[in-house]
Amino acid sequence: MFPVQGGCLVDETRTALAQIVGDSAVLADPQPVTRCCLASDRRRTKAPSYLVMPKDAAEVQQLVGWANRTRTPLVPVSSGEPHFRADTLPQAPAAVVVNLSRLDRIRRINRRNRLALIEPGVSWARLLPELAREGLRVAMPLMPRANKSVLTSLLEREPVMSPRYQWNLLEPLRSLEIIWGNGERLWSGGGVFRGEKEEDWEKGLVPVVGPGPGQLDFYKFVSAAQGSMGIVTWASVKCEVLPRKRKLLFVPVSQAGRLVDFLYRVLRFRLGDELFLLNAAALALILADGGERSELRNRLPPWAAVVSVTGGEILPAERVEAQEQDIRDIARENGLEVVADLPGCPGEQLQEIILQCAPEPHWKLKSCGDSQQIFFLTTLDKAPGMVSAMYAAAGELPYPAEELAVYIQPVQQGVGCHCEFILPAVADLEQLVQESSRRLLAQGAYFSRPYGCWADMVYKADAGAADVLRKVKRIFDPNNVLNPGKLCF
Amino acid sequence: MSLSKEIYRALEGIVGTDNISDDPALLDSYRYSLAHTAIHLGPYYDTYTPRGAAVLLPGSTQEVQGIVRLCNEHKIRYKASSTFWSAQGYPSEDGTIQLDMRRMDRILQIDENNMYAVIEPGVIGATLQAEAMKVGLNTHIPGSGCSCSTLASATSYFGSGPSNLYGGWHYENLLAVEWVMPTGELMNTGSLGSGCGWFCGEGPGPSPKGVFRGFLGAKGCLGVFTKCAIKLFAWPGPATLPVEGTVPAYRSPLPENFRAYTLAFPSWKAWADGAHAIWDAGIGYLAHRQFNMFGRDLKYAMVRILTDPTRTLGDLEELLEDPEVKRVTGQCERDFQIVLAGMSRRDIQWQERALEQILAATGGWKVEAMNRKQVHDWSLLYLIRLGHKNLNLVFGGSYDGCFGLLGSADYGTSHAEEAAEFKEQWEQRGALVQAGGDCMMGPVGGQGGGGTCLWENFTCFDPYDRASTEGTLEFFDACTRFGLSKGWGVGMEKWNAVARGPDGRTTPKQERDRIHLAAPQPSVFRYQRKIREAFNPNDLGDAYYETLDDAP
Amino acid sequence: MALEDFAAEMERCSQCSYCKWIPFDQVKSWRFAKNCPSIAYHNFNSYSARGRYAVGRSLLRKSSGISSKVQHIAFSCLACGACDVACKVCRYNLEPLEMVRELKFHLVKEGHGLEAHRAVLDSLERNGNSLGQAGGGRGKWAAGLSIPDARSQPCEVLFHAGCGASYDPSLQGSARAAARLLQKAGVAFGILGEQEGCCGGRIYSMGYREQFLRLARRNIEAWEKAGIKTVVTSCADGYHAFKRLYPGLGSRVEVLHTVEMVQRLLQEGRISFRHEVPLTVTYHDPCHLGRQGEPYVPWDGVEKKIRGQIVVYEPKRPRYNGAWGVYDPPRDILRAIPGVKLVEMERIREYSWCCGAGGGMREAYPRFSLWTAGERLQEARATGATALVSACPWCERNFRDAAQAAGDSLRVYDVIELAHEAL
Repeated sequence: MFPVQGGCLVDETRTALAQIVGDSAVLADPQPVTRCCLASDRRRTKAPSYLVMPKDAAEVQQLVGWANRTRTPLVPVSSGEPHFRADTLPQAPAAVVVNLSRLDRIRRINRRNRLALIEPGVSWARLLPELAREGLRVAMPLMPRANKSVLTSLLEREPVMSPRYQWNLLEPLRSLEIIWGNGERLWSGGGVFRGEKEEDWEKGLVPVVGPGPGQLDFYKFVSAAQGSMGIVTWASVKCEVLPRKRKLLFVPVSQAGRLVDFLYRVLRFRLGDELFLLNAAALALILADGGERSELRNRLPPWAAVVSVTGGEILPAERVEAQEQDIRDIARENGLEVVADLPGCPGEQLQEIILQCAPEPHWKLKSCGDSQQIFFLTTLDKAPGMVSAMYAAAGELPYPAEELAVYIQPVQQGVGCHCEFILPAVADLEQLVQESSRRLLAQGAYFSRPYGCWADMVYKADAGAADVLRKVKRIFDPNNVLNPGKLCF
Repeated sequence: MSLSKEIYRALEGIVGTDNISDDPALLDSYRYSLAHTAIHLGPYYDTYTPRGAAVLLPGSTQEVQGIVRLCNEHKIRYKASSTFWSAQGYPSEDGTIQLDMRRMDRILQIDENNMYAVIEPGVIGATLQAEAMKVGLNTHIPGSGCSCSTLASATSYFGSGPSNLYGGWHYENLLAVEWVMPTGELMNTGSLGSGCGWFCGEGPGPSPKGVFRGFLGAKGCLGVFTKCAIKLFAWPGPATLPVEGTVPAYRSPLPENFRAYTLAFPSWKAWADGAHAIWDAGIGYLAHRQFNMFGRDLKYAMVRILTDPTRTLGDLEELLEDPEVKRVTGQCERDFQIVLAGMSRRDIQWQERALEQILAATGGWKVEAMNRKQVHDWSLLYLIRLGHKNLNLVFGGSYDGCFGLLGSADYGTSHAEEAAEFKEQWEQRGALVQAGGDCMMGPVGGQGGGGTCLWENFTCFDPYDRASTEGTLEFFDACTRFGLSKGWGVGMEKWNAVARGPDGRTTPKQERDRIHLAAPQPSVFRYQRKIREAFNPNDLGDAYYETLDDAP
Repeated sequence: MALEDFAAEMERCSQCSYCKWIPFDQVKSWRFAKNCPSIAYHNFNSYSARGRYAVGRSLLRKSSGISSKVQHIAFSCLACGACDVACKVCRYNLEPLEMVRELKFHLVKEGHGLEAHRAVLDSLERNGNSLGQAGGGRGKWAAGLSIPDARSQPCEVLFHAGCGASYDPSLQGSARAAARLLQKAGVAFGILGEQEGCCGGRIYSMGYREQFLRLARRNIEAWEKAGIKTVVTSCADGYHAFKRLYPGLGSRVEVLHTVEMVQRLLQEGRISFRHEVPLTVTYHDPCHLGRQGEPYVPWDGVEKKIRGQIVVYEPKRPRYNGAWGVYDPPRDILRAIPGVKLVEMERIREYSWCCGAGGGMREAYPRFSLWTAGERLQEARATGATALVSACPWCERNFRDAAQAAGDSLRVYDVIELAHEAL
């Protein structure tokens, strides 16, 4: 709406936004940069009208209040570009992107309680060294983007490399400050102990508890919600002790299935720290560029389990030695070999790499500048079958099998695993992604984070969940201002 | 209030004649005395929960659905419980149908590789543990003990216990669920809803588990849970617990990779340091301040009684004069129990050494008297099977817990002594067992990996003795005032007073509103009201699902 | 005693449901974890000890009356004592077994006894046995064994056969085996034959206290008159009555079960087992020999409190928690028999599952009684044993009936039968 004032067109929306965040924090006609989206996702996208950058939770709350009054869709983003997937692409017209990157304080790192209090604009690149300075680290995803928001990673349940520290699937996320879609602010878990007073830290009144308060579990409503229930303006994150000693080991095999029993034993006894499977294509993507990649791919074993053992502050060398020997025993029982290096991939080199953010270009984008990822949860015993199904579907396209990168990440102490197929965009992948996703669902793949086309698929299969979530949405975002069109909303 | 004949017959048609009753005496066996265990609202002498309208024993999910639908049709309240221990599982309104879930007691599956079990509500911790151990797995057992329903604890209540540290607490361990919703529809949650099996409790997308399980559980007020998957963890021990000894002094001579220690510390700060160091190091299979529930002054004497089949409570006074008992009692004032379980020989060796370092750094020690073989093996069995929770009531027949000090280890330890002194003064008045003030019991690590502690101060009294019961209530009221004056908030002595009042029935709305409005975030209870309206529109639960309705 | 005497316990009951399970420390499987047949079969909470405490309280408070349901609740209790053992793992001031007995006494006193039980009383009064058999012939089981008549020949040791062995032909083998064994060992003993009186144990557990007292006093008098110093019996029910109930009425005799006697004889070398009996067996601990077979300890005291509110007794009260029951003698005997391989069930010793015969169950609720026995047969089968062995004719009778009803070929023996075969 552009009324005229003094002979000039006045954008009421811009005016209102500027009144909240300041004129310099309002950008018209933003052009969000995203990767890893299907064409069908892009077709559903509507161009946002503005991008705003609030500086604190109070401004965020005012924005949400305004959005409710004007019924303007808001799409929260926290990470730097390019964004992956289409969750931050508006599906409703005239949306305003709420960029939270100015909320970028690391409010507190507390060694005693092993927690970090961070705002959404804190990236992995910033947080990791700060934690290390305090003798801490956090269970992290495999090579996140440097400019990726830590809070968003955890909020969206990106799998972390260390299943032993995940007693529940939302860990290491704990207390949150949430601005709901209805404009109300709530502190979930122990978030009421916001640690704003120094004496609170001395007294131990700290936000270490994730769930609650009360009989609802509020942080579950914003988890994997793609910003459609509430905007999180800070989070407390569970940290682990920074290891003083590390050693990375590989268990190379020709078929993924050969590792299942081995991994089950390792997981059962919570051996190892970072623990996951990669195929040669994935490892080559991580380690090499350009033409070197295919050469490396041919040298690497088809599959390898990556097992890192760590020792903390107490008897670290003994701890590493004990774990390594136990892992070797299990490998031997399963007729497998444990090695320190793979051809073309020294363990120490990979150890360094996986503990840091991904360098640019991100390894999932290196080949062809774009890729699609298909990921879901399943159980380890079913993972090889999922892999076979994916290769079969790829073969029908045809999609070059050697490009298909696979990453299997045990989660929640081994009760399940994240299974991810990374498909560099060497071909048009729309049909492959859609068709293989359907087949994988039919085979029991659980698309617990339903981005894009998976949302329709999943909520059709599980109408009960859709019904529950819509009821919850009506409570926390009754006017559907937060990222409408996502999930089942 | 009795059911009409038509409704009774309709219910009978659902569950069968043998599985329904409205006989008054039978119904009275489904009432809970409010002078009793862990009710956290009283105690109240000679007061019971309301008599139900009928008791039903459903045998299947379909029967449960039939009952719930019929209740919705006729606007009859219903409340399901599995083992009926704790007033939370009982009606607070007249005319409530009680569902006894005992018949639905199957262990449907134990997935050895993916480490979870699928169970029905009647499965208790003891039998699940026994079956899990056969395949090298174990289940978390909540602090209420192995006689309680694992499903109930995981879906509907707190579910914290000694094995939180390694095994996770039941909030964390709950995977997919089969849920008969409050209006009778059937929902499979998490991965089960997508037809992908039981292994994942979250999603798809945001998690409906945030509604039906939430944090503290709906306490029987949001439908009925008829199956659930529960995450298990490694049991590096024999397929069956070896048990020796003469009743009640059973003990388990487990292999050398199992160690049970009572650790003690020179100060509360050192205690907290020790807890943090244990959490940081990642050692420990379970950690709990367990035996202190008998009281600082009495705990070791009680251990001597419990480990000797020839002894009874009548030997207590004599034992308290024993020089050895006095010496050990002094040694373990600021203590807790820890069990180490090595997943391999190397692992237990490392854990032992790590523990030694932690003790050296904090000035702590292992209480040697608790290391004597018979006591050690008794401790192991006690803590792993957790089958002696009835000891909570050993002294006079009743107990309840006050204070709580839930939070980080530093928080609880800074106030533990003060709470203990306050209680000790009240013990001298005679209504409570004189146990030394500090009777605080609770997990060392309230969640998987540690991080929080709870300090439930056991208050033992005689529910048959009016003066004792009423004196205990007076003490708990004083605890609440004391805790508020100290800025600790309302303690666990009144955690359920918001749901049920002195007459055994729902707390009046005015009082509930007052409590909720005094909470740090009253909006929590407004949201809970909206959830209740959305999912339980006929409002067939009770005030154990806490809601605030203060709309103008 | 009266039901009112349990008013304190009714309030002090933990309401924990431990009474429904074997001591949790002993649980080895889901299948064999329950201990109380009554609630395992009927499922309502009232059918457990905690439930009966609540029902008793309801009656005392006059919140309810004695309905047919209340009758069923009370008389479905086998009085096996399993609840008592489980409760007392942790509780030192509750007596669930005494309470459930008192509940039955109360109902009988109020005129609400069961018809089926009254028939047993009639049989006792008219014919001197609890089996509904015609009078006379009580001593016929001993035909041809030349056992002295204790009334006319001085005997210090009396062998009490019991109603079962006296009147049930299929159970007589055990009594005859016991007698022959004692004779071979050179033990001088006699029997009362025709004049042997029913121990009264069964009607006691049905709720007929006065009638039991009459029978008991008659027996005690007969023993005193005959100069008996030791009573030996192969019936666990009788053993319990003589050992635990009679001393309170003035009985001074030593009471032994045959298995205790035989164990003693083995240890003294007065008998030995030479013949092989190739069998894999599992042993069932009868309730009245095992957990209820503990030594009697006289007590006449009061409750007192220490440390404010800890309930104890002055003088110290015997616990009767099953710790000191007769468990090892029968096992020692079985292990000493060449060829016998003893394998244990999961629920044994003080936490053994009841055979289902006690408390008047066979008479009043035969289907429940047989179900209980059937459960035990399944447990026996699960061990891989081909025979179930016990030391009580009532257990053996019920097991045989259940096996027959189920078409189960599991053999049922008495320990003494096997011992005699091995001599």
